[in-house]
Amino acid sequence: MSASLYTTRRIKNVVAMVLSVIATGLGLFFLAWILWETLSQGASALKPQLFTKITAYREEGGLANAMIGSLILNFLGILIATPIGVAAGTWLAEYSRRSRLGPAIRFLNDILLSAPSIVLGLFVYTIVVLPSKYLSNGNVTFSGIAGGIALALIALPVIVRTTDEMLRLVPGTLREAALSLGVPQWKLTTQILIRSARSGIVTGVLLALARISGETAPLLFTAFGNTFTSLNPLTPMASLPQIIYEYTKDPSPDINTIAWAGAFVLTMFVLALSLIARFAFRSKVSHD
Amino acid sequence: MTNMNEVASQPGFGTSPHAAGVDLGQVPAKMTVRDVNFHYGDFHAIKNIAMDVPEKQVTAIIGPSGCGKSTLLRIFNRIYAIYPGLRATGEIILDGENILDPKYPLNRLRSKVGMVFQKPVPFPMTIFENVAYGIRHHEKLSRSEMENRVEQALRGAALWDEVKDKLKQSALGLSGGQQQRLCIARGIALKPEVLLLDEPTSALDPIATSRIEQLVEELKRDFTIVIVTHNMQQAARCSDMTAFMYMGELIEFDRTEKIFTKPDKKQTEDYITGRFG
Repeated sequence: MSASLYTTRRIKNVVAMVLSVIATGLGLFFLAWILWETLSQGASALKPQLFTKITAYREEGGLANAMIGSLILNFLGILIATPIGVAAGTWLAEYSRRSRLGPAIRFLNDILLSAPSIVLGLFVYTIVVLPSKYLSNGNVTFSGIAGGIALALIALPVIVRTTDEMLRLVPGTLREAALSLGVPQWKLTTQILIRSARSGIVTGVLLALARISGETAPLLFTAFGNTFTSLNPLTPMASLPQIIYEYTKDPSPDINTIAWAGAFVLTMFVLALSLIARFAFRSKVSHD
Repeated sequence: MTNMNEVASQPGFGTSPHAAGVDLGQVPAKMTVRDVNFHYGDFHAIKNIAMDVPEKQVTAIIGPSGCGKSTLLRIFNRIYAIYPGLRATGEIILDGENILDPKYPLNRLRSKVGMVFQKPVPFPMTIFENVAYGIRHHEKLSRSEMENRVEQALRGAALWDEVKDKLKQSALGLSGGQQQRLCIARGIALKPEVLLLDEPTSALDPIATSRIEQLVEELKRDFTIVIVTHNMQQAARCSDMTAFMYMGELIEFDRTEKIFTKPDKKQTEDYITGRFG
């Protein structure tokens, strides 16, 4: 190879490398900034009472009811979305091959994936919250279950998409090998393919959980909020993002500080979920 | 090539020059293939194939890439049928019944005709479960019967001694050659009559390859074997009959010894001697 060609390639390589490093640094810089800002602004509120006291005490309280509410709402959302999402994703990947419905559903699912979450909140308000008056003597009741359904609508397309993609990554030869043993399609799907793609599907569910745990808009008209701890999903429930939203608008600086602390806790929770998704389930791909 | 001598010494074996009607002499035909055509959509991939696959012998299918050898093999257990737009016509008679008849139950076909693929594909389960999985679908066995069957299959695939202490471990931890023998064990565990091998050693190193070839030699005591290979030495080493395919047609089908020493067709000779392909 001529020396000049080699020099040109080396220069190109250096330029590309520098640009990539700058881009990476820029992304990490903002992430670090956000973490630092939430931590430094909320540091003074990061004390045990944040986790033990409820929002009814205002400045003297914490976010315990919001954290419990968030856990219940997220759990409900994932509980509803996972079976539907995994089943739908399985159908798309394994059974829609001979059907024209497959690409159409995949497309609609992508639309749902990018649907504004406030619209999903309003939708659930219309189909769940408003009709609740027929069940409770004419009173329209906001409820945890409505919030869970709204969150499920956000998690659903994420789970459908990852299940579909993870199953399609399973090599076709595995399907052929099982089918050539005379194993029927349903056994192949449930016992071999889902098992092969399991870690990917679980990762998808965890990422969906990370996604919904930060959602505020769909909860405003559904779970609504509650200054007390509620464990009953038929009553209104508080949630971290919704309290953060309320507290940042509050005139009291102490309340604002609690909002920052809440934001820090929430960010850490999402970060932890992502790390679990990244590490805990990755190694299981090859050992099982 | 001692294995071929016993075949070649049988009277009348391989006397006809025509691919379609090679006289198998005293070796009965396990599968009789007649007028088989195959289409991938509009592409005519296999053209009017006729051949008799001899029972408990090794039949090799050779030919350049894209000649249809794997496609032909995939018709023998109708595994192609899992993809839309593929269609096979003609007759393949196995034990008196046409397996290409849509009424022929796939379940039965696949318990009679096993298949091993190019890349080893163990299931994401333990070594024991990999072998037991297929059996469980076809037969109800007690625990000890199942253990016997699995051991027998692993012994048959010359893998038992290497894995007997780690049957409960994941099959994904085995080496490539061991995984391929596990796939063979999984196939023979169902006690099929025909075993199809689709380039079973192309992903393996020379040592693992020679183990598989030895194994093929042993397996033909119990099974009728059809092996697709792009390695001509392999076909020469371990088969009794060889079919040479080119552009979807069966050019020549005869005793391996004859194909590799004095083939009837010019095309076969050109391929064997490396003039094309």
